[in-house]
Amino acid sequence: MIGKDKIFSTLSQVLKKSPSEQTEAVFIGTSTGLTRFANSYIHQNVFEISGQVFFRVALGRKLGVVSTTSLVKEDLDRALLTAYHIAENQPETPGFNGFAPKAKYEKIRTHYPSTASFTPVQRAEKIMRVFKIADKKGFTVAGSLATGESEVAVLNTNGVEAYQPFTSAATNMTVMGDNSSGYSEALSREIRKIDFTELGEIATKKCMDSKDPQELPPGKYTVILEPKAVAEILEWMNYTGFGAQSVEDGTGFLHERSGKKIMGDNITIYDDALDTNGMAAPFDFEGVPKKKVYFVKKGIGGDVVYNRIAANKAGTKPTGHGLPPGSGSSSFSLNTFVASGRNTLNSMISNTDKGILVTRFHYINGLIDTRNAVMTGMTRDGTFLVKNGKIAEGIKNLRFTENMLKAFSRVKMISKEQQAINTWWSDVGCVVAPAIMISNFNFSGKTEF
Amino acid sequence: MKEILLEIIEYLKSKKVDYADARFVSTIRESISVKNGEVEALSNNEARGVGIRVIAKGAWGFASTTVVTKSEIKKAANMALQIAKASAMTIKEKVTLCEVEPYVDIFNTPFKEDPFEVPLSEKLDLLIRVTRELKSHKSIKTADAALDFWKTNKVFVSTEGALIEQNILESGGGYTAIAVEGNETQWRSYPNSHRGDFITGGYEYIRELDLLKHVDRVQHEAVALLKAPPCPSLEATIIIDGSQLALQVHESCGHPIELDRVLGTEISLAGGSFLTLDKMNNFQYGSPIVNIVQDATCERGLGSFGYDDEGVKAQRTDVVREGQFVGYLTSRETASVINQTSNGCMRADGHNRIPLIRMTNINLEPGEGSLEELIADTKHGYLLDTNKSWSIDDKRLNFQFGVEAAWEITDGKKRRMLKNPVYTGITPEFWKSCDAICGRSEWHIWGIPSCGKGQPMQTAHVAHGTSPARFNGVKIGVSK
Repeated sequence: MIGKDKIFSTLSQVLKKSPSEQTEAVFIGTSTGLTRFANSYIHQNVFEISGQVFFRVALGRKLGVVSTTSLVKEDLDRALLTAYHIAENQPETPGFNGFAPKAKYEKIRTHYPSTASFTPVQRAEKIMRVFKIADKKGFTVAGSLATGESEVAVLNTNGVEAYQPFTSAATNMTVMGDNSSGYSEALSREIRKIDFTELGEIATKKCMDSKDPQELPPGKYTVILEPKAVAEILEWMNYTGFGAQSVEDGTGFLHERSGKKIMGDNITIYDDALDTNGMAAPFDFEGVPKKKVYFVKKGIGGDVVYNRIAANKAGTKPTGHGLPPGSGSSSFSLNTFVASGRNTLNSMISNTDKGILVTRFHYINGLIDTRNAVMTGMTRDGTFLVKNGKIAEGIKNLRFTENMLKAFSRVKMISKEQQAINTWWSDVGCVVAPAIMISNFNFSGKTEF
Repeated sequence: MKEILLEIIEYLKSKKVDYADARFVSTIRESISVKNGEVEALSNNEARGVGIRVIAKGAWGFASTTVVTKSEIKKAANMALQIAKASAMTIKEKVTLCEVEPYVDIFNTPFKEDPFEVPLSEKLDLLIRVTRELKSHKSIKTADAALDFWKTNKVFVSTEGALIEQNILESGGGYTAIAVEGNETQWRSYPNSHRGDFITGGYEYIRELDLLKHVDRVQHEAVALLKAPPCPSLEATIIIDGSQLALQVHESCGHPIELDRVLGTEISLAGGSFLTLDKMNNFQYGSPIVNIVQDATCERGLGSFGYDDEGVKAQRTDVVREGQFVGYLTSRETASVINQTSNGCMRADGHNRIPLIRMTNINLEPGEGSLEELIADTKHGYLLDTNKSWSIDDKRLNFQFGVEAAWEITDGKKRRMLKNPVYTGITPEFWKSCDAICGRSEWHIWGIPSCGKGQPMQTAHVAHGTSPARFNGVKIGVSK
């Protein structure tokens, strides 16, 4: 970690020399260790210190973007000049109306020294605890544990000086048997909040309970999706429908559906980067304060998220969802929440005569028909037949193909418990989801295991 | 930089490591995106740093830094050593690497025209013109075009005496027209979806693509799809075009032959493989006309290089021969498990990532005849063209792909266009149903710069040589 003072002093000196009327600098730095394991031993163990500086130079509405991993003064000066020359030589960027103005940000604690200083030996010790739990049942474990710290700074010639340090601890584990597997995961800014024994026990039990899986024919079933499975669907809804570009292009399911009924009354989906139940962050990569945005409120189509360019094009205000420079008009929800309900996962199971419990999905793809949020994907690592209110047996994995707008109109129960699910952007966000029960969920195919 | 890396390797030798290597990687990427005649994103990204890989006490450790001074690289080396010792806490067997010749060499990608020397204004003008022309129809809501170029310098040094420098140049681009009417949205792309087609080589490929020449067809087809009837749901004979077949090879052959997957080390994220060790030389993967090779040496393939990131020379090896599964993609560590030598498939996504087994150019060898002849030889079927969506289970058996467009074939003629085509199957059953593969004249190596794998996530640049092929009894139209 370089720290706020050094980043600000280094970058502000470079900005002062900018030949342009408007310049922005973004720093993203990380110091992260990741331990990967499989067959109950560590097979990959890595540590990374990296930093990247992005410069955006504006000449009127012409923009030049350059990034470099070097923090050497001469390299930074050269990068800034390159950005200037790029700006000089390109047409105007529609929608650009200047960099963010100075703003105040929410004070949120997002950095915990105990997570930042967690060592490779400490990671090995946590993982070995899980190996022991699985080994007692004759199973092995695969997965990863990542701990580390990162920092984001945004400065611009309008006076924006935003800085936030983060820590994150993320783990996932797949317990493997001869013909079954079980999965669990956890994500927190504080490593001490992750209970490795509990995670090991959950994954081991799923592996045990799904032993010798039986084949179930594809068809329509009541399905109970655990939070991980719900989050995986939400990730694709986010890619294809929660950003301003999907409305501008007419490809997203919220295009021309704001204010219209698109899901069941019990469904509310929103972005809230200030909620510390997720991986909170006070501002985006343009230095715009984060705002709460409802995508779906009680089943009614809502708004999408905007960075500054997209907001200006759409004639609205930015919501604090800009990505790092060079991402064009892309705006992205990094802190997606599905509102909780009043039920529990156990009550969903006990209220199911015949249905399928899904732990997680594999390789969902939501590009089949983005206007209607049609998706396909496979179940994995713990798929169960629920019969007469109880988990009856493990079943072989199934493929689903569903219109998620219709599926989310058939949600019968939602759990009050939510879980923060790890994503590739988890330093600055995640998906927070409950378990949900959906009737007549379409399983369109099967596989051999 | 070579001198610093050699010093670090000497330092690690003095620490009595079992093995160590150091990689310096410097990459410049230029990425240009134009939408509806206006610049959407234009960036020039430079990244450089050093990654140190160590085996100590029989276990792996890796650390990287973007600060390329001797003192910081030495810190990274010490960290890699500490990490290896932590890994050794869970060791079952000591890591064994198969033998490799310690090469001292320089490799440069052959190219004619450096894309970084082509004026930015020329590249922008091309994309602006393409997207303006695509957008000229009222039903085309969005026209996206892109160009991407990478220039990478790598230096690899190992405790075994290797000293390899590589300069790799990659270029590519393409465009997509999105037609929208009411609730209907349809895509058409050229030369491929997902930002186009890519090679190792220079700007000469962008000129060869002749992007403007295909604008009218792409625009017309995107608009025509809005009114096209949906692809029916049934079992049918299908002909898959080369670009979609490239992704089929990628997902259903390229990933399951990665030996690290087979041995379980990717299971928690990307999954395992149905091609278990007992199946090598003992499993009918496809019909007898199916021949697949991994070939990191083929000209222009996006998966071509001189040496992998373990210093193993690029090779061409058999994967499927006359339908029989005969070989994996390997690393020095995994090859030793099956008593082979590495076929050079270890690559890392930059200095800050550890090499993993990645596809090179996984090529379906050509058969005979043209696409026109294959269509003429088909009584009833469907021609499926250009990837739109993809999904496959975690052992790579059950797959489902969506493509941009289909055409019904009756009595040897390509007839009406159909929208929203999807097909699904089980990998070996599917490849065993292959009864025709078009010849060399239809064969092309499709570059895919976005293959994801590993934790932390790594993106590899890979490719697949394919020509259109025919498959029987395939379930299509299963999207809803």
